[in-house]
Amino acid sequence: MTAPKRANRKIKDKDYELIQAINSGQFDRFPDLVKRYEQKLYNFGLRMCRDAADAEDTVQETFLNVFRYLKDFRYETKFKNWLYRVAASSCLKKRRKSKFAPDRELSLDEFFPQDEAEVPDQVPEWALMPLEKLLNIELLDKINEAIFTLPEKYRLVIVLRDIEGFSTAETAQILNLSDANVKVRLHRARLFLRDNLKGYFENE
Amino acid sequence: MSKDEHDHKHCLELFEKLSEYLDNELDEVACKDIEKHIKDCVPCFVCLQTLKRTVDLCKQAENRPIPEDFSKKLREVIQSMPKNPPAG
Repeated sequence: MTAPKRANRKIKDKDYELIQAINSGQFDRFPDLVKRYEQKLYNFGLRMCRDAADAEDTVQETFLNVFRYLKDFRYETKFKNWLYRVAASSCLKKRRKSKFAPDRELSLDEFFPQDEAEVPDQVPEWALMPLEKLLNIELLDKINEAIFTLPEKYRLVIVLRDIEGFSTAETAQILNLSDANVKVRLHRARLFLRDNLKGYFENE
Repeated sequence: MSKDEHDHKHCLELFEKLSEYLDNELDEVACKDIEKHIKDCVPCFVCLQTLKRTVDLCKQAENRPIPEDFSKKLREVIQSMPKNPPAG
């Protein structure tokens, strides 16, 4: 028995026409693609590498790889997903031992209240007040700091899901993980950040 | 539910699923199970609320502008690349 042929449907996203133009020889359109994504990729690189020079290196490497391999892009995913796959791989290659975020597994147990004193009996103020009243520069810095301290494999997932806005399935595809694995990592990353923020608000 | 009861197995089971609940990735039965549980379990309700706020805050994380010098250099580097033949 032969397997049913998969439909070779091209995904025509907002980048489709631009990529078609570049691949048909209009190389002068490539800077339009850079303009569309350089800002996002730079911040993605910063969140993954922390160091600005490393972030610049990853952005440059990503675009050079896109330039080299764009002709092989088959529109099987959205271009943006493919781009982030290239960028994530570049960031992982750049990996440096970080004293802020040592590689380690986060277990669910460490986030579950272990003794009675830790069990909350009311919703804290910071989770109740309107978001716009809560937000200030110090808190935004704190959030960025907290993201930096996440071990890399959890940071990758939370950045793609909660900051870049990719779905679970897209994140799984970008990182070559199962959906279940993305969900597990995301939940632990969020719990890690929650504990971090809780500590910040309690000591304020 | 008292604090003493909070190591209840059911709390632990639901604790694992709270992100999926917030992301609307659970089926109706699992959602209803959580909603029913948090009505009576203060610690789990607090946990859900603080987790939700964490996600909201994370979504507000600020972006830095790309340095202009780098952006310019990036275009120069790309400009200097040999041009690939169009896809066949």
